[in-house]
Amino acid sequence: MITLYDYELSGNCYKLRLLMSFLGIDYKTVPVDFYPGREHKSEWFLKLNPLGQLPVIEDDGLILRDAQAILVYLAARYDPSRSWYPLDNPALLGEVSQWLAFADGITSTSSAARLHDGLFYDFDIDAARAGAHRLFRILDEHLWFGEQQGRNWICSASHPTIADIACFPYIILSEEGGIPRQDYPAIRRWCDRVKRIKGFTVMSGVFPAGPGKIAA
Amino acid sequence: MLEEARSRWHPIAATHDLQFRHVFHGQLLGREFAVWRADDGYVNIWENRCLHRGVRLSIGINDGRELKCQYHGWRYSNRTAGCTYIPAHPADAPARTITNRTFPAIERYGLVWSSEEPRGEVPDVAALAEGKLLALRGIPVNAPADKVVERLKAYRFQPNAAIGGEGAETIVEAAQDFAVALHSRDGGAETHGVFFVQPVDSNRSVIRGVLDQEAEGAARLAILRHHNERLSKLRDEVEREAASAPAPTPIEPVYERVSAELAEMPEVTTHGRKAALRVSVARKWQTADGIAGFELRPIKGILPTFQPGAHIDVHMPNGEIRQYSITNGPGETDSFIIGVKLERDSKGGSKCMHETVREGDVLAISEPRNNFPLRRDSIKTLFVAGGIGITPLLAMAQALKNQELTHELHYFAQGEEHLAFADRLKYLGDALKPHLGLSPDATGAELRQILADYRNGMHLYICGPGPMLEAARKIAADQGWPDTAVHFEYFKNTNKIDDSSSFEVALARSCVTLQVPAGKTIMQVMRESGIDVPSSCEQGACGTCVATVIEGEPDHQDVYLNDAERKAGTKIMTCVSRAKSARLVLDI
Repeated sequence: MITLYDYELSGNCYKLRLLMSFLGIDYKTVPVDFYPGREHKSEWFLKLNPLGQLPVIEDDGLILRDAQAILVYLAARYDPSRSWYPLDNPALLGEVSQWLAFADGITSTSSAARLHDGLFYDFDIDAARAGAHRLFRILDEHLWFGEQQGRNWICSASHPTIADIACFPYIILSEEGGIPRQDYPAIRRWCDRVKRIKGFTVMSGVFPAGPGKIAA
Repeated sequence: MLEEARSRWHPIAATHDLQFRHVFHGQLLGREFAVWRADDGYVNIWENRCLHRGVRLSIGINDGRELKCQYHGWRYSNRTAGCTYIPAHPADAPARTITNRTFPAIERYGLVWSSEEPRGEVPDVAALAEGKLLALRGIPVNAPADKVVERLKAYRFQPNAAIGGEGAETIVEAAQDFAVALHSRDGGAETHGVFFVQPVDSNRSVIRGVLDQEAEGAARLAILRHHNERLSKLRDEVEREAASAPAPTPIEPVYERVSAELAEMPEVTTHGRKAALRVSVARKWQTADGIAGFELRPIKGILPTFQPGAHIDVHMPNGEIRQYSITNGPGETDSFIIGVKLERDSKGGSKCMHETVREGDVLAISEPRNNFPLRRDSIKTLFVAGGIGITPLLAMAQALKNQELTHELHYFAQGEEHLAFADRLKYLGDALKPHLGLSPDATGAELRQILADYRNGMHLYICGPGPMLEAARKIAADQGWPDTAVHFEYFKNTNKIDDSSSFEVALARSCVTLQVPAGKTIMQVMRESGIDVPSSCEQGACGTCVATVIEGEPDHQDVYLNDAERKAGTKIMTCVSRAKSARLVLDI
């Protein structure tokens, strides 16, 4: 069975919980006391991931770090529909990778602001917030034009991909870092859509959406 | 300028921002809004804070009929913004003072308009008067509205038909405090564009542009991108400029107290029964054999909030007053739908409604009152309706259906043609269980089956003719249903009222002692002494005139209280019940 080294409040760990919930994969978790225990910098954990970062998974002897990398692995291995990580569609695959990198940018800005405000990390908070707003503006515009073309998701597919999962957590948690999403109406609507994917699960600070309207 | 701006209409969203089952987060002049479109299309613009703990309603859930706060699940109704349910008080109907502040909403030019204290109508924009329009992507700008307007005067764009070209001539046709009208011409191609600037806060704005021509497909997209690109560039410039100036202080919105109309009790009349509302009969139809449906619409404004189980008093042209349950589903707040059965021995109430009242007539009705509230914390809810007793239970079943809570509606009627409100019944799907044409004995047998498996946490609601209600209550009690899980509402009190006793009533809080002689009710005596007593049916069925007993033994003659409540002797219906003891002390 897959083992997830997990911290409840981590958006990066949440990405994997989300995907495994969407795919209906069974897994067990090993809680890592990220705060205040700093267990991710402990000797035993550094043997799993010398970078001292969450999340890490262990599956059939394979040890993998980095949320985006693990999303790729899990979707490629466990999604028989091949929609979350569309291996048969090179153009779409390129798009997915592009937005996975964008998600890294969200982590380094929006997540950093949240660590500063919530867990007292010594970051340049103004730079983190400004950086997040810059990315959110780009994503909001992208999603708005997507809606105008009948596209609901980040990539050009009729279904969500791991790019949506990778971007979602630190966007939906951005208020915890003092980054309001009021100026990003298209992002707010996309968040509702992500929450309505079958199998969606919440974490602390993420609220569920009600059911969508069924066409009469 | 911003002070004066409060009385103007401003766009606060684009129509396409308000998707079904979504809550848009808006703001105007420092005041935040939760904006949501109900499934019936109505646009709600509310103060963005739950009246309970102040949490933003923009993170709440729009279920198509109501908005549910994310924090403690308080539910607020479409249109009225009144609270309909508080999960922590499952047995109570919320007070009507729990009504959120609403702001007007008008959809025009592809935009949604609102205002804090509007004067006049949404402005007519000459350039946008005719044809199909194209609303551009709203561009939020971190700069004051006046700076944005100033920049917009120098905005240049290509007309729709020459979007790929260069060098169109753009002129300013009109400019106001919060809008600039531009005209672009390139050869034969021309487009009018009006750019409204929404003052979000002292240092934040949104540019909402509207073009006077619609376009399709790729051309439409090219136009939207053209403006998005140019307006984004304009935004960057004005933001740079604004960043170099000291930021103005953000506007502090003033949170108003609940309106006087809601906070104060309705005016007292010697009569006691109030008919504060005027409605017109928008539709009258035969909804089942012997049952007329009435759709009552407000003459002006909107109707007050109701909850499932609530009823209204209808004051009829012949002077009679009758109570009718509201059958509406949650959030269905544009009219009240009632069902009136023609009673064979009608004393003038149902006869008048059936024969005299017509479409277009104006009726006086009371505010909705709810003495039959619906719990939503039940693991399974059973409704047992007999004939016209369907009306309150229909409203309840629709509410549970909307929240996807487990329920069954057992509807006993003489035949298919006696089932009222077919469209509403259809909405309930499999939860509706009709039982048709049964004799009293067969009804009893059916009820025994329905009520067989009581489990802790289940609730039963019964409404129907007296004998059937009695039977259902008895069967429920026999099968182990506790009094607290059985809720019922009688149409009328068929008990023979014995008013031969005379006794003394002391009103503890009013410091008054009154003598109630034979032939008069407690209520009459109190009213004669100038004490206001709310009432509705005045026959011991509806529960409106309930009073708390501090001392003495009540002589219950009503049908509202259940056996446990009667035994406890702490409540009394002052319209029919009396005292067995010589003295009764009430908490009035």
